[in-house]
Amino acid sequence: MTSVEQALLAARPDFAAIAQWVDRGARVLDLGCGDGTLLRYLWQAREAPGYGVEIDDDSVIACVSNDVNVLQVDLESGLSLFADHSFDCVILSQTLQAVHHTEGILREMLRVGREAIVSFPNFGHWSARMQVALGRMPVSESLPYEWYETPNVHHCTVTDFEDLCRCLGFRIRERLVLHHGKPVSLLPNLFGSLAVYRCTAP
Amino acid sequence: MVTVEDWVEAQARLADHLGIERFAAVIGGSLGAMQALQWTLSYPDRIRHSIVVAAAARLTPQNIAFNEVARQAIMTDPDFHGGHYYDKGVVPTRGLRIARMIGHITYLSGEAMAEKFGRLLRRGAPGFDFDVDFEIESYLRYQGDKFSSYFDANTYLRITKALDYFDPAADHGGDLTAALARAKAAFLLVSFNSDWRFPPPRSREIVRALLDNRRIISYLEIAAPGGHDAFLLEDPRYHAALRAYFGNIEL
Repeated sequence: MTSVEQALLAARPDFAAIAQWVDRGARVLDLGCGDGTLLRYLWQAREAPGYGVEIDDDSVIACVSNDVNVLQVDLESGLSLFADHSFDCVILSQTLQAVHHTEGILREMLRVGREAIVSFPNFGHWSARMQVALGRMPVSESLPYEWYETPNVHHCTVTDFEDLCRCLGFRIRERLVLHHGKPVSLLPNLFGSLAVYRCTAP
Repeated sequence: MVTVEDWVEAQARLADHLGIERFAAVIGGSLGAMQALQWTLSYPDRIRHSIVVAAAARLTPQNIAFNEVARQAIMTDPDFHGGHYYDKGVVPTRGLRIARMIGHITYLSGEAMAEKFGRLLRRGAPGFDFDVDFEIESYLRYQGDKFSSYFDANTYLRITKALDYFDPAADHGGDLTAALARAKAAFLLVSFNSDWRFPPPRSREIVRALLDNRRIISYLEIAAPGGHDAFLLEDPRYHAALRAYFGNIEL
């Protein structure tokens, strides 16, 4: 692993979890791919080719610079560019909380892909709960925005997400809850700040 | 008649003559985008990258309709003489003017036109006659006059027909995915959201067909106000994206 990769995995601990669930050579779609870092990492670490979907101009140009396939379309209007089951794995990394049509996107992910990998900041972490109990909206490492400037619109907890998966008929194959990049097994909805799920159709 | 396929064929012969076996990249906008796409179909092994800007894989009936109005303007000009106007020592300038005016309206977005001209009056007050009142009228007349002074009418007719006929999916029962299966190039597609002549959905059709074929492709949909003409303008995002893309092409 290069020093650049180490720095990357320190900054985005969900990437390592995501990468270990992506099979070698799998076809990947990364929704809300930012500058394409994850796709680039998956290509280098797993030889997994893929496409990113991103709406922000600067991020899209960064993807092009990074030699990552990127498609500038709005996630919220669905994934109509993509045929059914055209990907092995569809990833939504730390984007779920910023999406308006949450159910629609999650359904679309399992229409175009065999598997969905979703990561999000856990609003159930004790520090968030405590800040709310003390009468303030939480601001933390994993939720780094003030309420008036946050791009996030749909916060959820580990328990909330699992409820939604049940409603949508998603089968949760694997779950990893992290704090400071380390797995949390004891009371993950209280001690985990970042959750990563691997889901399939039932 | 000549078609987009014919043009690509002619360009390929020129490339042969110049000893160019393979192109690192071809790029084109609008009708040029059709050629950049056609190159990947006619000569899949000679093109590594194709940059297809403000494109359509086939014209819509509305687009063909605009072209037909332009052609009728030219062909019904009394100076057209069945295309043999040079023999008579004249040029169908009235027809060319109107053709160009129609074209110009469709190349600009309503927003860009409003921004550039608004309802500004040429003479300070409405004239209540048929002389030029609004700035936009003056602009269209000027563009029409300029164009008709140098552009050949028969060429205009044939270019619009080449646009109308281009439809690589036609030989595949309308299936664009099947039509693009032979392309091997990596693609960059760019569309502009204010372009109503070749709007983003037309580019997305090509993107979808290339994705179905699992090609290497990136697609940018730039929020630029310039309409179809945006591909000729200096939008910083558009230029930055092209610069970034070219930067990664190995020579």
